[in-house]
Amino acid sequence: MIELKDVSKRFGSRTAVDALSLRVPHGEIYGLLGRNGAGKSTAIGMMLGQVWPTKGSLRICGHCVLTQRQMALRKVGAIFESPAFYDYLSGRRNLEILSSYTERTEARRIAEVVDWVGLGGRENSKVRTYSHGMRARLALAQALLPNPELLILDEPSDGLDPEGIHEMRLTIQRLKRELGLTILLSSHLLNEVEQLCTRICVLNKGAKVFEGTLEETRRSGRWVHLVVGDWFKAIQSLEGAGLISGHRDGRFVSMVPDVDTSQLVCALVSAGIKVHEIAPEEESLETFYLGLMEERQGHVSGESTQAAPTPN
Amino acid sequence: MSLVSQLKRRQPQIEMFYLQLRNELWKLFGKKRTYIGFGAFLLAQNAMLLTFRFTRWKGDLEKMLDGNGYLAQDYVSALTVAVIMLIPQIILLLPLYAALVGGDLVAKEAEDGTLRMILARPVSRFRLLFSKWLAGMVFSAVLVLVLGGTALVFASIWFPWKGMFVFAPGMVFNVLSANDGVILYIFSHIFIMVNASAILALAFMFSCFNMKPAAATILALSYLFINLVMEGIPFFDRFQNFFLPHHFRMWLLVYSSPTPWDRIGESLCVVLAFNLTAFLIGAAAFQVRDIKS
Repeated sequence: MIELKDVSKRFGSRTAVDALSLRVPHGEIYGLLGRNGAGKSTAIGMMLGQVWPTKGSLRICGHCVLTQRQMALRKVGAIFESPAFYDYLSGRRNLEILSSYTERTEARRIAEVVDWVGLGGRENSKVRTYSHGMRARLALAQALLPNPELLILDEPSDGLDPEGIHEMRLTIQRLKRELGLTILLSSHLLNEVEQLCTRICVLNKGAKVFEGTLEETRRSGRWVHLVVGDWFKAIQSLEGAGLISGHRDGRFVSMVPDVDTSQLVCALVSAGIKVHEIAPEEESLETFYLGLMEERQGHVSGESTQAAPTPN
Repeated sequence: MSLVSQLKRRQPQIEMFYLQLRNELWKLFGKKRTYIGFGAFLLAQNAMLLTFRFTRWKGDLEKMLDGNGYLAQDYVSALTVAVIMLIPQIILLLPLYAALVGGDLVAKEAEDGTLRMILARPVSRFRLLFSKWLAGMVFSAVLVLVLGGTALVFASIWFPWKGMFVFAPGMVFNVLSANDGVILYIFSHIFIMVNASAILALAFMFSCFNMKPAAATILALSYLFINLVMEGIPFFDRFQNFFLPHHFRMWLLVYSSPTPWDRIGESLCVVLAFNLTAFLIGAAAFQVRDIKS
């Protein structure tokens, strides 16, 4: 549904997005993660033809966004952080206005969508009287009006209270379940992404630092849960063999790269230590994300240290 | 392919464009601030009427008519006063309100974030701008019609319906019958509409760049003001044709006798071309710009 190939965007001397390639297959809920200024909104802007890429190609629903924007966006709905409306007009009038930029929309269809998002009865009130949650529903309604196949959600829970966030999460699940939409979700809320997405892409300073399934993020950790007869002897033995780089809580060891659990078991058994239990620790997305960011920070610091001239 | 079949093929697109234009008008006329201009015009007109009636202004006009051999009581009329009321409003208020609305058309939507909502949809930037520009032209026309209509209505309340006297130093001195006068009064409003739409297009052009709505309005007004000042400097006498206010006076020339059609035609072409150029520059700037929150 979405295909970005080597897309970059520079604003003057600042690179907002750097050679980003990603692919969102049909039917996925795809999470776009990254800290503020990582380039998520710029990437979304480029997907919607609002921001011109400096280089690269973007295809939405099989059409090039740069040359066939109208075809590409025909079946796309989008919601942005803090959705903006014409506050002095009614919710219904806002929906009529926004939907008319896609196609002529029947009053029946508007009523149907208004009911679907739970805004029934308030659609004729002026938007300035709406609560934050109601504005979020109106934003969803406008995104759903063109019968989209792809929904792009840029921080949809931004500014919502905990109930609103919960409701938005349920709604996204409903969208996938009932309407079978493909969804690109850009969010800061890692637990939201963890609960909703099947695949994620992490951006850091405009560049992609990870892309994969949530399953992969859970398994990518080097920490292993270990239950042995003699913990201290086991640690001594594993450290002596150079198989682990650290340990914590009397239960977890961190394997050095290229070592797997079978090698740990062999080393422990050879040392005469009983192994009761050994299993890779399932990382939460938060642990994974923070680890990834720390790693990138270390990588950048390392590079800058290497690059720095050595004092005589 | 015949024109009819081409039109039939394009009918859905034409219908969509009509819908989009209607939306732009809803947006424009749904805002309270759109009516501030109309309200200010009404207040200014009544203030001028009272000033004209109860100060030396009326006496001076009567003296001028008498001095030129006309019976003042035949020409101090609703039509004469309506035109007198129009002149300061066209110089001061009309540019202000046309520039205010023109400056808002794109920049306010970009500032509020609604432009991003629209441009997430499969509408071309040019089409969107064209509908906005056209809505701006409709607004200019409505503003001028209301201005001219209310001026005549209020003047009719205080002054009789008689002959018309039009005087603008160095440009027009003419007396007309009430019938001829009202026809020219209506006709001159077409040119005022053209002027208002050019001012609006100028502010619209600036608002297509990445700037705040107030900045677009101020830039447009500054451009007009600089034109006006330079036009008044004797050194620039031979460059009069390069200044917009010089051409804006075509509406007054309509009242001249004989009517300088060549000069009016020239100014009309310049102002229309200026309007179109402003739109195209704005459209080009808008096309290449990044729309970000």
